[in-house]
Amino acid sequence: MSELSYPDDLRYTSDHEWVRLEPEGTVLVGITAYAQNALGDVVYVSLPAVGDTLAAGDSCGEVESTKSVSDIYSPLDGEVSGVNSELDSTPELINSDPYGAGWILQLRPSDPSALDSLLDAAAYRQSLG
Amino acid sequence: MTDLLTSPLHERHVALGAKLADFGGWHMPIEYPGGGVVAEHTAVRERVGLFDVSHLGKATVTGVGAADFVNSCFTNDLRRISPGQAQYTMCCDERGGVVDDLIQYLRADDDVFLIPNAANTAEVCRRLAAAAPAGLEVLDRHREYAVIAVQGPRSDEVLQALGLPTGHDYMAFVEAQWDGRSVIVCRTGYTGERGYELVPKWQDAPAVWDALVAAMAPWDGLVCGLGARDTLRTEMGYPLHGQDLSLDISPVQARSGWAVGWKKEAFWGREALLAERSAGPARISRGLVVTGRGIPRAHCSVTRDGAVVGEVTSGTFSPTRKQGIALALLHPSVAEGDEVLVDVRGRGVAATVVKPPFVQVQTRQD
Repeated sequence: MSELSYPDDLRYTSDHEWVRLEPEGTVLVGITAYAQNALGDVVYVSLPAVGDTLAAGDSCGEVESTKSVSDIYSPLDGEVSGVNSELDSTPELINSDPYGAGWILQLRPSDPSALDSLLDAAAYRQSLG
Repeated sequence: MTDLLTSPLHERHVALGAKLADFGGWHMPIEYPGGGVVAEHTAVRERVGLFDVSHLGKATVTGVGAADFVNSCFTNDLRRISPGQAQYTMCCDERGGVVDDLIQYLRADDDVFLIPNAANTAEVCRRLAAAAPAGLEVLDRHREYAVIAVQGPRSDEVLQALGLPTGHDYMAFVEAQWDGRSVIVCRTGYTGERGYELVPKWQDAPAVWDALVAAMAPWDGLVCGLGARDTLRTEMGYPLHGQDLSLDISPVQARSGWAVGWKKEAFWGREALLAERSAGPARISRGLVVTGRGIPRAHCSVTRDGAVVGEVTSGTFSPTRKQGIALALLHPSVAEGDEVLVDVRGRGVAATVVKPPFVQVQTRQD
């Protein structure tokens, strides 16, 4: 098995999510390699609705594997501006490409500077022990 | 944390990087890297898979009259089979609750070999020993034998590569030799696929395992964890003790009455079970296929037209059908074809009541 990776250009949360800042000021959110590996084969993803207003820490969806289910939490305050509807038919993208095609939702943060309060890759790696 | 017991193949699992978890007090593989539940499940349905199930119990009842004694305790009718055959049965208590479900192997009238569930072996042995007449010996042999399951349409080829016997009838077993070691080859399993369960001596298990791993490679076989074993058995509607059968869920409720020898004069729980069968069970186990989106899990409640009609006992994602499936204990008024809602963490997931199995397989084919 290949080593799990944590790209340096992303921010992370203690709930094992990653956050990528996009040029337009929106962010993409997904779950980390660690999280998808711990869950096992992802077979179902429940997504929020575009337009939902979320506070940081709000539960806004679920990622379910053959074995267990895990909540998706909003990493920041903001509004849902997009969801990855490919996951409805191919939830396994979260396993095969967690930082790419397996993204889960797009958020328009109400305060873009709040991104700086999230973990960087080094701090996230350290949190995994 | 209490110390977990380990299989004689534990070092193999650790070397493969398996995810391990507690199963009935045993530290056993859930899934392996490079596989995962879905890939391992599919390997068994399409090719072949290898499972270490050495956590399963092993026990013997020996002495003159052993078979008659066991037949007077457990539910199924041991007189329906002959030496060399095995049978699914249940150990009930006097209330008709299920202490365990297990396989009984009739070796001879004075020699019955049992494979109970890991967590229930000691209790089954205790009950047998307490009831056994003088001259009969009940022995818990949990760590004298290993159990390795070879399951899937290519099982015969894998066993033949080792020179082991194949092609005996479903539920029959042959006491064979491999490389100077004794191995019992049973045409049994918990996946629904054609397959075998091998019972070597505990210390011989690593050599047998290694040979089977090598023999299944040409067929793209996979080592499989207990995660895939659970999705495979759920697709077949096979009950799991502790979820679908228990001290509170009788064979009548679980629709396991086919494994009760109703005409026998004696077995534990007989009066209670006859009374329940005659009155009709208060709830009945049925299958659910999700038609909406979501995966039912054990203890999710089930409603019909807004009224609670029961609860899920086992639920999972079916890798074969790619939808949620479940076994549920439902009010007797619920019939096959009814539309129900399963409460999955507060969300109503639509499902249809069906009769398991959820997949069509070739378990018994010659």
